[in-house]
Amino acid sequence: MRHTFLYFLLVNFLLLTLNSFSQKDAINITTFKVVEKKVLPAYKTTRFDSISKHNATNLAELLSNNSTVFIKSYGSGSLATASFRGTGASHTKVQWNGINLNSPMNGQIDFSLFPSFFFDDAEVHHGASGLIDGNGALGGSILMNSKETYAKGISANLNQSIGSFGIYITALRGAYSNKHWFLETKVYNNLSENNFTYINSTKRNKPTETQENAEFKQWGIQQAFYRKFKNSTLGGRIWYFNSDRNLPHTMLVSDNIENQTDKSLRNLIEWKGLSNRFQYRICSGFIKNGLIYENKLANIYSKNKSYLSDNNINTKFYLNNNFILNNDINIKYESAKADGYNENHTRFNSSWLFGLNKKIKRIDMNFFNRLIMVGKEFKPIAPSLGVRYQILKKEVLYIKANAGINYNYPTFNDLFWSPGGNKDLNPEEAQMSEIGFNFIKKLAKTSINTEITGFYSEVKDWIIWQPTEFGYWSPNNLKKVENKGVESTLTISTILSKLTVNNKISYAYTESTNKKTEKNLDNSVNKQLIYVPFHKLNYNLNLNYNKFTLNYNFNYTGQRFTTSDNNWYLPANFISNIHLARQIKLRNKTSAIFTLKVNNLLNQDYQSIAWRAIPGRNYLFSFSFNFN
Amino acid sequence: MGRLSIVAIILSFLSCTKDKIGPQCISCQEEQIQITATLLSDLLIINEGNFGSGSGSISRYNPQTKRVNNNLFLQANGTPIGNIAQSAFQIGTKAYVVINNSNKIEVIDINNFSSLHTITGFNSPRSFLPINQNTAYVTDLYANSIQIVNLNSNSITASIPLSGWTEDLLLHNDSVYVCDMTNDNLLIIDPNNNSLVDSIKVGESPNSIVIDKDSMIWIMCSGGFSSSNPKLIKFNPQTRTIETIFTFPNIAESPGNLKINATGDQLYFINSNIYKTSIYANSINTTPIITSNGNKFYEIGISPITEEIFISDAIDYIQDGIIFRYSSSGNLIHQFKTGVIPGHFLFID
Repeated sequence: MRHTFLYFLLVNFLLLTLNSFSQKDAINITTFKVVEKKVLPAYKTTRFDSISKHNATNLAELLSNNSTVFIKSYGSGSLATASFRGTGASHTKVQWNGINLNSPMNGQIDFSLFPSFFFDDAEVHHGASGLIDGNGALGGSILMNSKETYAKGISANLNQSIGSFGIYITALRGAYSNKHWFLETKVYNNLSENNFTYINSTKRNKPTETQENAEFKQWGIQQAFYRKFKNSTLGGRIWYFNSDRNLPHTMLVSDNIENQTDKSLRNLIEWKGLSNRFQYRICSGFIKNGLIYENKLANIYSKNKSYLSDNNINTKFYLNNNFILNNDINIKYESAKADGYNENHTRFNSSWLFGLNKKIKRIDMNFFNRLIMVGKEFKPIAPSLGVRYQILKKEVLYIKANAGINYNYPTFNDLFWSPGGNKDLNPEEAQMSEIGFNFIKKLAKTSINTEITGFYSEVKDWIIWQPTEFGYWSPNNLKKVENKGVESTLTISTILSKLTVNNKISYAYTESTNKKTEKNLDNSVNKQLIYVPFHKLNYNLNLNYNKFTLNYNFNYTGQRFTTSDNNWYLPANFISNIHLARQIKLRNKTSAIFTLKVNNLLNQDYQSIAWRAIPGRNYLFSFSFNFN
Repeated sequence: MGRLSIVAIILSFLSCTKDKIGPQCISCQEEQIQITATLLSDLLIINEGNFGSGSGSISRYNPQTKRVNNNLFLQANGTPIGNIAQSAFQIGTKAYVVINNSNKIEVIDINNFSSLHTITGFNSPRSFLPINQNTAYVTDLYANSIQIVNLNSNSITASIPLSGWTEDLLLHNDSVYVCDMTNDNLLIIDPNNNSLVDSIKVGESPNSIVIDKDSMIWIMCSGGFSSSNPKLIKFNPQTRTIETIFTFPNIAESPGNLKINATGDQLYFINSNIYKTSIYANSINTTPIITSNGNKFYEIGISPITEEIFISDAIDYIQDGIIFRYSSSGNLIHQFKTGVIPGHFLFID
């Protein structure tokens, strides 16, 4: 009830904002371009097209359906973490417009708490390229970015979705811009009963049961305000997000009443511009995260709060067109207070990145080094070197290679959790390298883009929590993990008069093995890490005809082991989703889109995590109204 | 043409539809056996499994043939036993297996491992103890009570309200003695009217309790998470007084898993290593009978027939654990693999 009221307040606020800026600016100016942190051509990146972004409810779904990143999801609305090139959940760093979002408490990100509505595009930096985004990305990093547009007047979008198992998602966006100002408000609300039925295969006779205690509510608001000057832009964003969810139990448990509330307030202010040969972005972010976990059966009520201040000065100096100097200074301040800590903990986590990019004929080269200072620990060297070479003069065929080192520092939980926290932990260290080919061919009606990358990395001092002889759990730098594999993508686009056909296939083979043991009885040595699939494949087919769009999405996830000696595994699964949209032009500036989405088209019964129920075939119908 | 090959790939994926859902076990396929009847002197090993994963299992070991059978419940019933198989108790040909996180007790036939009954409605059950032919008590981590189970109807009939975590318990002379982990008490319950009769402060976190041949009760108190010195307490149930307190010198120690031999004169416990102490000793034996040598000992069991010492090691807690079998004098006889986190031994008699 309280939420409904707040919701109406927000809608009113949105309408007011729209009214006060209804004056239209007809002057069309060319948008001033600021090249953001661009990953150098020697590294593998994945970018998502607007259709993929539009089709995915949240970041977890976007990555899972369109990239080689493996998302370990406990179910709809439940915790989703990423495993990237065989690394762990805290080894994937996530940024929102250059601000790091990983929790200082556990180093992780819950990808289910980022509706794709709240960002305009997303990008994945694989392997050593994550070093450009800061320390800690041992597998890679994921970036959510927002865009500003100018001189577009008023635009508004309303999207309402209704789906199986009591899903109601409302998303509203209003924006106004003239040649100087950009203002944008986004409001989001998601109510899901999530009471699907499933076959409980842990019970004799395999009865059909209804998922209990799985409902969730998410709502959020994001406000952007930007002012453009002659050579620079000043602006900021405020993003509040609230999630209240019950945590469903496994099929093996009869009743369990657990609840988790996450509240995040993310603020950022930035000033960016270009003067002569000097490009800069000064950005400051402040993030406040609150997490409350409640377990009524166990009488647990646990409150955690963390604060993060992330400050960046990023500059680029163009000596000439082919020679660029990079300087990125990052000063991060982390603070957290939890029931599990004896006191409030704070730490400075700062680094300085210095880089060179040089182009000599058909060779693109870059070198950069990150100097890291975390607490009192100092690491002067975390370098990366990359080269791209265009093999043939007339064809776009590149060979790319790079290598780098990155460090991930222990989290506050690792260091200070009581009991168990270990103050003597070393940072995890990854040595990463990759080599690949990229071929791009544009024909009259067809274009082909294909890339194949082989990667190898070694993570030393990998932190693992294990029970101690004292009865509690404690982390130690126990493992050495070797990751190797292949990532490949192939995109073929064809235009046949009114029909556009777009095929995209991506596949990853990942071998992630533990190389170190304390005792010779340990059977985990040289075995695949748990919950890292050897094979992951996505296929997306997009058909556009007139105002119709059809998307077919296929995901194959190979078997994942659930025990470290590789004696138990979850079988491979293959899931199909389909998405049909019809656009209708209403008037000059208004249009409507009707969308029907069918998830798990073939009604597969599978488990993503052992004994966690997954819904069968389900539907989501959306209506969106656009004015611009 | 490229599109055709993609279609072919998809079709090949679609065609390999399998009926396998949920965790599958590789060694189980090799282990598929006709389950034979359990023999006297056989040992059942209850493997907890990982929290949330449902990898709890039952193994059986024959000390004569040294044969191990794993995943017996799964093989017999086609379903996993549940989440965290905590402990087990034998009554005749039945074993009552307490499944902590699945809030239930599985009553199984020890000869074919089929589930006979499932007793449900618990909160977070820990230990099961029959107090007479018709009734059993079940301690609990979170329920703030002991549940009273009717063994004929296989249902919870009532509960004894208490406060906090109740753990190990024993029956002696028509009184039930319960370790109260939360309040550091030894609770005495009258099973005739199911009422709390007395509670005696012992050391911090009393985790295990045994009775010796002289009817003295021994309680091991771990001392919490390095918050006080651990204590081994000798309690006289006749006078309801503590007779002796043996205090461990190091606050960081965390002894537990107190066991006694069938004769009732030798105490065994884990304190990183395995220690054996006579009930008449003036101090705790500081020389271990078995040293850990880098292993993390998780549970011990003392064979009532041979006094052999069985010790489990969970290794990294996410793989099949190992059982070491030692002679009563501490010589290794055999070692074998069971299931994930072997946490309880049930000697069949």
